Amino acid sequence: MPGQAVESQVILVVGGGIAGITAAVEAAETGYDVVLLEKTASLGGRVAQLNRYFPKLCHPTCGLEINFQRLRGNARIKVFTMATLAGLSGARGRYKASVAVSPRHVNANCTACGDCAKASQTQVPNPFNYGMDKVSAAYLPHPMAYPMRYVVAPQVIGTPEADAIRAACKYGAIDLDEQPKTFELAVGAVIWAVGWQPYDAGKIQSYGYGRVANVITNVEMERLASPGGPTQGRIVRLSDGREAKRVALIQCAGSRDYNHLAYCSRICCLGSLKHAAYLREQYADAQVDIYYIDIRAHDKLESFYRKIKADPQVRFIKSKPASISAGENSDPILHGEDTLTRELYDRPYDLIVLATGMEPSAHGVTPALKLSTDDYGFVVPEIDEEAGIFAAGVAAGPLDVSMSVQSATAATLRAIRAVRTNGAAAHKGQA
Amino acid sequence: MRTIAAAPAGSRTYDLNFARWVYQNVDGGDRLSLCMQCGMCSGSCPIGTAMDHGPRKLFMMIRAGMKEAVLTSDTIWNCTQCYNCVVRCPRQIPVTNILQGLATVAVREGYAPEQPTAKFAKAFWFSVKHFGRTDERLVTAFFYFSFGLVEGIKRGLANLPIALRMIKAGRMHLGAPHRAKGAADLRAIIAKAEEIEKRERAQGAQQ
Ligand SMILES: Cc1cc2nc3c(=O)[nH]c(=O)nc-3n(C[C@H](O)[C@H](O)[C@H](O)COP(=O)(O)OP(=O)(O)OC[C@H]3O[C@@H](n4cnc5c(N)ncnc54)[C@H](O)[C@@H]3O)c2cc1C
Repeated sequence: MPGQAVESQVILVVGGGIAGITAAVEAAETGYDVVLLEKTASLGGRVAQLNRYFPKLCHPTCGLEINFQRLRGNARIKVFTMATLAGLSGARGRYKASVAVSPRHVNANCTACGDCAKASQTQVPNPFNYGMDKVSAAYLPHPMAYPMRYVVAPQVIGTPEADAIRAACKYGAIDLDEQPKTFELAVGAVIWAVGWQPYDAGKIQSYGYGRVANVITNVEMERLASPGGPTQGRIVRLSDGREAKRVALIQCAGSRDYNHLAYCSRICCLGSLKHAAYLREQYADAQVDIYYIDIRAHDKLESFYRKIKADPQVRFIKSKPASISAGENSDPILHGEDTLTRELYDRPYDLIVLATGMEPSAHGVTPALKLSTDDYGFVVPEIDEEAGIFAAGVAAGPLDVSMSVQSATAATLRAIRAVRTNGAAAHKGQA
Repeated sequence: MRTIAAAPAGSRTYDLNFARWVYQNVDGGDRLSLCMQCGMCSGSCPIGTAMDHGPRKLFMMIRAGMKEAVLTSDTIWNCTQCYNCVVRCPRQIPVTNILQGLATVAVREGYAPEQPTAKFAKAFWFSVKHFGRTDERLVTAFFYFSFGLVEGIKRGLANLPIALRMIKAGRMHLGAPHRAKGAADLRAIIAKAEEIEKRERAQGAQQ
C-alpha cells in the first residue's frame, strides 16, 4: 500500500477471548508491540466458561494456561481489562484509538488472598456462571482469572460495606475512588476479536425458557457440569436439586430459523454431543435424547459423533420440537413430531437443554470503526485490508476454538503486513 | 398473463411434474422448496392427531410427486387455519395458505367428493354468493342434504332441539334468509371473477 506512511506499528487487539489472546501472542512473538483490550475483568472469553473441549474432552483451562504463560512472559504485550475501544480515527498505520476503562476498584497490589470477599456481605449474580449462583461483591472473576485480581462490584461503592472491604485489605489494593477513564493510543492496525454472546433463548417463545422450570441453555449446561459451576459439577436440576438423568438436548434452538438466527452456528451439534458425554459419564443410568434436524459434525469431528451414537443410552430423534410445557413435579414436557415415524410425542424430562447458537457480539455495539458485516452481523474478515482492520474468531463467523485460533493467526499475519514499513509495497502487488 | 393450468394428470404414483406445478400454481408454493422437513409445523398443530399426514409429510409427498395421495388427503381439509405453524416455521413457509390452495385444486379437479369440509365450504359459498351473508338454516340444510336425502333428514332431526332453542333465544329466525345490502352487486362481482377464472383456465389447458 504505497503512499501511506506508517507512524505506529502497534497492533491493537480488541477482545481477550481465545482469538484475541492468540492474535496478541502471535504478533508479539513475531516482534510487534500489541495492546490487548478486554471488556470484562479477566481474559479467556467464553472458552474459560466451558467445562471441557470437544472432541477430546480435555479441560479448556489447559489451553488457556499455555497462552497465559506466553502472554505473561512477553514484554511487548500490554493488557487492559475492563477496557474497550470507544473510538477510532485516522487511517492504516496512523490510527488514534480511544480506550475507555471502567473501574475495577482493585489495583495491582492485589494478591488474590480473598480477605476482601470475607468482609463483604452483599451477594451479586455471578456473570461467570450466567447468573445461576451469586458471589460476594468483592470477587475473583473465576479461579483461573488472568489477571489474578479481585473486582469490587459497583453495587456496593459508596456504602459502609465498601469501606469495610477496603479496611480488610492488608496490601492497600482497594481503590474506592477509581473513576471511569479514557485515554488515547497511537496504533497502526486493529484486530477485532470481540467474539459472541449466546442467543437469547427467551425469544423462542414456545420453548418456555425463563417460564418453564428446568429448561436451560447449552452455555448453562457447561457451567452446571463444571467443577467451578453453581453445583460444583453435579448435573442436577436447579428447581429441586434432583439428579438430571432423563435429559433432552434440543438442537437448532433458534438457529437455522428465519424468525431468530438464520444461520447454523456450527458448534452446537458437537456441543450437545459433548453434553451427552458429560451426562453418561456422571450417571450410569442416564437416558439422553438428542432432537435434531440433521447432525452437523464437520470435518474430523464426525468420529466423535459416531462414538456417541454407538451408545445405546443416547437416542437420536429426528425432529425439531414444537414446544415445551410445564408438567408435574417440575418436569418439563416436550411436544413435537418425530419426522421418521410421524409419531406425535409429549415426553416429560428431568431437564431440557436448548442448544442455542452464537450471535456476534459485534451486533449493534460496533463503535466508531465502520466494519463491513455480512447479513448476520459477522465481520467480513478481509474486506478492510486497506484500512488495516481485521476480524478474528467468532467475530468473523461461527467457529469452534481450533478454527478461531486459525482465523486469529491469519488476522495477525494481515495486521503485520499492514503495519510493516519496509515491505508495504509488496503487500498487494507481489503477494 | 396469468393462467391456471390443470395439475398434471395423476397417471403415475410418482410424478415430479406435480411438485413443479405446485411450486408455480399454489399460493405460497414457491416457498415449499425451502422446507427442511424439521417437523415444527406438524408438531405445532393443535389438531395434528386428526390429520392423516400432517403438513410436513404432505410437503414431502408433494416433492415426491404423489398427486393422488396429496389431493385426497384429509390434512388439507382438517386445517383450522390457526396459523400456529406459519408463525413458527423456521423457513417462513405459508403452510396454511398452501393447504388452502391445495384444497381448492382438490375440489376443482374432483378429488374431494366426500370431504365433509369441502361439502360445508360449498354450502357456505352458496349462501354467501346468493345472499351476501351466511344463513344458518340454509348452510346447515345444504350441508346435511349433500350427504343424500335420508342422511339429510336424519341429521336434521337430530339437531332439531338445538334449532328450536336457538329460535327461542332469538339466535335463528324464521322466514326468508336475510340479504346483505348490495347483494346483487356482489353477485355481479363474483360472476365477473368466475368468468375471468374460466378464461384463464381455458388458456391454461391449451398450453
Ligand atoms: C455451548 C457451547 C459449547 C462450546 N464448546 C466448544 C468446544 O467444546 N470446543 C470448541 O472448540 N468450541 C466450543 N464452542 C465454541 C467456542 O466457545 C468459541 O469457538 C470461542 O469462544 C471463540 O472464541 P473468541 O475469542 O472468538 O470469542 P469469545 O470467547 O466470545 O471471546 C471474545 C472476548 O471479547 C470480549 N469482548 C466483547 N466485546 C468487547 C468489546 N467491545 N471490547 C473489548 N472486549 C470485548 C469478551 O468479553 C470476550 O472475552 C462452544 C460454544 C458453545 C455455545
